[in-house]
Amino acid sequence: MSEAVPSDDFQRAALEHLDALYNFAMYLTRNPPEADDLVQETYLRAFRFSHRFQPGTHLRAWLFQILRNTFLTFYRLRERESALAEDGVPTWDVPMFHDAPEESAAAVEAHTDLERALRRLPEEFRTVLLLAEVEGMALEDVARVLACPVGTVKSRIFRAKERLRGLLRDYTKE
Amino acid sequence: MTPPPYESDETLGARLRAELPRHSAPAHVRATVVQASAPARRPTPWLAPALSAAATALVLGLVVMMWLPRVVDPTEQLVRSVVAEHMRTLMWGSRHSQVIPAALPWLTQESGIGLKQVFAGDEILVFVGAEPVYLDERRGMALYYRDSDGHLLTYIVLPFPGMPILDRWRVPIERGQTRYRPALVRGDEGFSTWVWRQGDLACFLVSDMVSTEDAERFKDYFVRVRRATDPVPAQ
Repeated sequence: MSEAVPSDDFQRAALEHLDALYNFAMYLTRNPPEADDLVQETYLRAFRFSHRFQPGTHLRAWLFQILRNTFLTFYRLRERESALAEDGVPTWDVPMFHDAPEESAAAVEAHTDLERALRRLPEEFRTVLLLAEVEGMALEDVARVLACPVGTVKSRIFRAKERLRGLLRDYTKE
Repeated sequence: MTPPPYESDETLGARLRAELPRHSAPAHVRATVVQASAPARRPTPWLAPALSAAATALVLGLVVMMWLPRVVDPTEQLVRSVVAEHMRTLMWGSRHSQVIPAALPWLTQESGIGLKQVFAGDEILVFVGAEPVYLDERRGMALYYRDSDGHLLTYIVLPFPGMPILDRWRVPIERGQTRYRPALVRGDEGFSTWVWRQGDLACFLVSDMVSTEDAERFKDYFVRVRRATDPVPAQ
């Protein structure tokens, strides 16, 4: 199968986001080797499908979208019994991905309460906070990454912060 | 660091930006990514004629296809949406166990589907939950079950008068005096879907049971759900 050759401009522009994508991958996988794989796979896909990228749209959001979709595809979700709220987000705290290596040898330790609290958020909540707050992405771009309406993004950010505050309060009491 | 209990949204956002450590891509990742597109850029003497031949074949194929009648199968389209809904449920997690009689009035109101009779689970399949769904501009209902091996089954009912079902998909199933002829659709994504009509409603039962050993069990699950469930359009 022939693959599209990404233009030098595309390649250069895509590489500018490498560190941000790696950072995001680390918070998703919590595991350096898996973050390595995830980022490499993301770029392979981005280069392979660079012809599908529409110039003028936001390359950064497109790359984050590929990364997240790759993450969701490769990390098989195990069964959970959890409630869904109206915006489709589980309402409890179990890690979303069975493979999320909380206890694996390669897992990165959380050093602060904030990291610990963020880690305990469901993936959907963690992702909106990372994209909107840490990466400073516009809500429209976050919506594009998550493939959901902007209103849902706002609601998730609100609920994610509520949950985060609750967890931080719990840590304070401990 | 101890956070104040009244931390505002802005403060929390600022803390996330300031306090979370940032992880930079290691050198080996950067090197791999930079090289990622290199093989495709190497000149390959055989590539041009091969591409040319492929392009010619493609053009010829397209010309032939233009003369063929274009068939968009609405049932296949709907099955794809149903499987996507099943995957969404797997991904987001299914609801807590519900008691179905309690959920029925709400479900009927939200989905536009009434259930004169419903399979509420048995010793083989446990009822997990129910919710209204909206697929391909059709409002309907989804019920979820789980077997003892952990397979999630999604049963979906949607209004679709006269939904076409190809004969070649149909699988005869006999249980006692009763014969069923549902269609079995197997997609590339690793899911199987039973498809059948009940009056003006289209019914689907999806699971990831695709192996030969699973086939008989999935047939049995279809029968359990089919014979104990009687959906009707709500008045």
